[in-house]
Amino acid sequence: MVRFVLSRALKAVLTVWIAITSTFFLLRLLPGDPTTLMVEGDMTPEMQAALLKTYGLDRPLWEQYVSYLRELLQGNLGISFRQLQPVTDIILDRLPWTLLLAGTAFILTIAVGIPIGVTAAVNRGKLMDRLLQGFGISANALFVPSVAILLLVFFGAQLGWFPIGGAIDPDTRGAAAYLSLAHHLVLPVLSLVLVQLGPYALTLRTNMIEVLGEDYIRAAQARGLSARRRVWKHGLRNAILPALTLMGLQLGTLVGGAVLTETVFAYPGVGRLIYEAVGQQDYPVIQGAFIMLAVTVVIANALTDMLYAVLNPRIRL
Amino acid sequence: MKNIVKGRWRVAVALGAVAALGLSGCSLNEDNASSGSGSGNGSVLRIGTTTDVSNFNPLQSLSKTDSWILNAMYPHLLRIDENAKKAPELAKEYKYEDGGKTAVFTLRDDFKWTDGKPVVAEDVKFSAEMIMKYKLGNVAAKLTWVESIEAPDATTVKFKLSQPYAPFAEGVGFWMSIVPKHVFESAGDLSKFPNDSNWVGAGPFVLDSMTKGQRYVMKRNENYPLAPGGKAAVSQVEYRVYPDVNTMMLALRNGDIDMMGTPVPVSAAKTFENDSKIKLEKVGALGFAHLTYNMNNKHLAKQEVRQALSMSVDTKAIISSVLQGDAQQMAGPISPIFADYDNTEIQPYAYDPDGAKAKLTAAGYRDGNGDGFFDGLTIGVACDQSNANITRVVQLFRESAAKAGIKLENQCVERNTFLTRTKNGEYDIDATQWGVFDNPMDQLRSTYLSSNPGGINYNLLKSDEMDKLINDAAGTTDPEAFKVKIKNIDKVVHEQAYLTPLYVENFQFAYNASKFTGFVASPSDLLGMVTAYSLAQVTPVK
Repeated sequence: MVRFVLSRALKAVLTVWIAITSTFFLLRLLPGDPTTLMVEGDMTPEMQAALLKTYGLDRPLWEQYVSYLRELLQGNLGISFRQLQPVTDIILDRLPWTLLLAGTAFILTIAVGIPIGVTAAVNRGKLMDRLLQGFGISANALFVPSVAILLLVFFGAQLGWFPIGGAIDPDTRGAAAYLSLAHHLVLPVLSLVLVQLGPYALTLRTNMIEVLGEDYIRAAQARGLSARRRVWKHGLRNAILPALTLMGLQLGTLVGGAVLTETVFAYPGVGRLIYEAVGQQDYPVIQGAFIMLAVTVVIANALTDMLYAVLNPRIRL
Repeated sequence: MKNIVKGRWRVAVALGAVAALGLSGCSLNEDNASSGSGSGNGSVLRIGTTTDVSNFNPLQSLSKTDSWILNAMYPHLLRIDENAKKAPELAKEYKYEDGGKTAVFTLRDDFKWTDGKPVVAEDVKFSAEMIMKYKLGNVAAKLTWVESIEAPDATTVKFKLSQPYAPFAEGVGFWMSIVPKHVFESAGDLSKFPNDSNWVGAGPFVLDSMTKGQRYVMKRNENYPLAPGGKAAVSQVEYRVYPDVNTMMLALRNGDIDMMGTPVPVSAAKTFENDSKIKLEKVGALGFAHLTYNMNNKHLAKQEVRQALSMSVDTKAIISSVLQGDAQQMAGPISPIFADYDNTEIQPYAYDPDGAKAKLTAAGYRDGNGDGFFDGLTIGVACDQSNANITRVVQLFRESAAKAGIKLENQCVERNTFLTRTKNGEYDIDATQWGVFDNPMDQLRSTYLSSNPGGINYNLLKSDEMDKLINDAAGTTDPEAFKVKIKNIDKVVHEQAYLTPLYVENFQFAYNASKFTGFVASPSDLLGMVTAYSLAQVTPVK
């Protein structure tokens, strides 16, 4: 098990390094540099050079890369070009919002996806199954921003049931603040859950159908165990294993989806920060945010793998 | 055992939820605790903005949305009025001495920083010197001619120039933010100073708190001499962040905000027509849409080709379809918003595809293969594809130019690529819209002077005649003679067809007239209704 954990940890570190390196070089392959966006009226070459020097962009690329890695190893994500503040502070300011949004969506997807998948499998071929499959397939085709905009226009603007932007009513305190928080969370979470739910429920349905056909389930039936117990205790425990992998993968999609959702709903998380930083070519902020997200996803995937190994010792072999 | 497992799950879920809520919830409105008043108070003006403040250092910030907040905090020597003329703000007046080589500003003596200290000439001197020392923002270019700055007393600032430059005082007075020396001097290198807390300002409002990604709360400065009664009638201004203009429009209609900082798109303005509370205020632009011809292109280097292209643009149709008639056509390179310099002697090139064809034929171009296009005359038109209006302009230009036998290629690309190509001169025709020009001389110098490497001479023009005319006008401090010289340059640019000016757009700003009144709109989308002066004049509707 120790060897397994070490191997997974090494792979995680390698993945993060690849994410850091590719983000670093991809950003610099983009046309222009941060000063390109500042040319409005006069900007002498001296001023542009001074800005590039301030940003450290006047040095050779490899030198910038080595220096960036060195700083990273000391836990320094750099200083934002535009905000002139430490990137770590900027991101930590936004990260709780993204964790709240993506975390709530993740929990809800699982909580709703499991009953849908199981119910569809148990009722295989029946109307209920066809309806749930139809929902799953349709949800699979949904695109986060489209769903988010539809929800925003209909439930936010037309019906006025939910706020159309922000994360909380600024003038609330105490319990009212938490209610406001939940109120603002409904539409962004719903848009993420609707999109994630389809693949999750369908995968679970397929696994469940397979498991329900296994000998040990038939044996349980012969022993006189109730259908409910067979399905939810014996069946689900095994069917959920492959779905664990999907959960890990979904975390990545959730984070990506959060970027789009946060942009549509003006939600103040890391996703929104990335959107703004990309518009300003603020390299340190973009790099820092991507590293944070990459680390989050990699850790989640590593934990999923390890959890999988704990639940199913065969894969450690 | 079963119960224990169930219990563990419940505890884990509960802990997770509490932790997640706690992470956000606890710090949620913490920053705003000091602001005290809520939006239930009628004197809180809520303004929609599209991005967070990216830089709180007013000497360095280059963002339009930053300036809406920072300009309300840090005074400028001059402001621009509804007619695009410079009006006094911190400076009561200015004049030139030594044959135009010294610009002298006389300051008001009743401006105070919010920590109680008076705003004095030393603050102005310090601000300008720091901009020059650290080459901060675009204002640094406007201080190019400054050799030294003196502050002989608390209300006098003298800028000694290396040579006379007619619009120096206007440009520096309008663009330069004045910061408190006693606060900023301890910050060291101002190019690295974020100025993101403990703000001290002297505008009508000063930032009090912020929740990034959500809102910026500004409190009234209890001493602002340009407001009626010595302080703004509105006690608090709150900027709320929305992802785009469409969401902001919904927020205005829903009553979440009282006005929009950004203009309402022409196509969307009609949606407010049935809302009796919302009023739209129309203002002109300080920039204009245009086609600029790259003189390094062998075809575009010819005056006849440039003139033929100018005759191939159906500007009236463009204004009618793209801007639904809400714009003014231009003839020369100076916007008619600058009434003093508007040259009524010149007229726009009339849309005349046959005339354009005849001109090109006379210039030696032929349609040998009979495909309807002149042989070898294929020209690219570059633009920023995120600008919906300009993209449509390029499409219409292609269609109308085809009638004149000119084949145009649409080369509209993503914004960064476009800006990079523009900077490097990698285009034939540049279709775009200038941002803000506060005076014609700066504009002409920036766009046509060959020895101004920091300018935006997108023609890549190297003309001794133009250089001479521009340098001559730049040194003319007599206002009447200056106007004549500017109009003459206007005429030359028009005859040479260095660019085809298209239109000066009208911007419309929306606000809730049932709650607030008294806004003073200034031209351009940079200023609009959210200038310091405008915010100081706003009053709540009783």
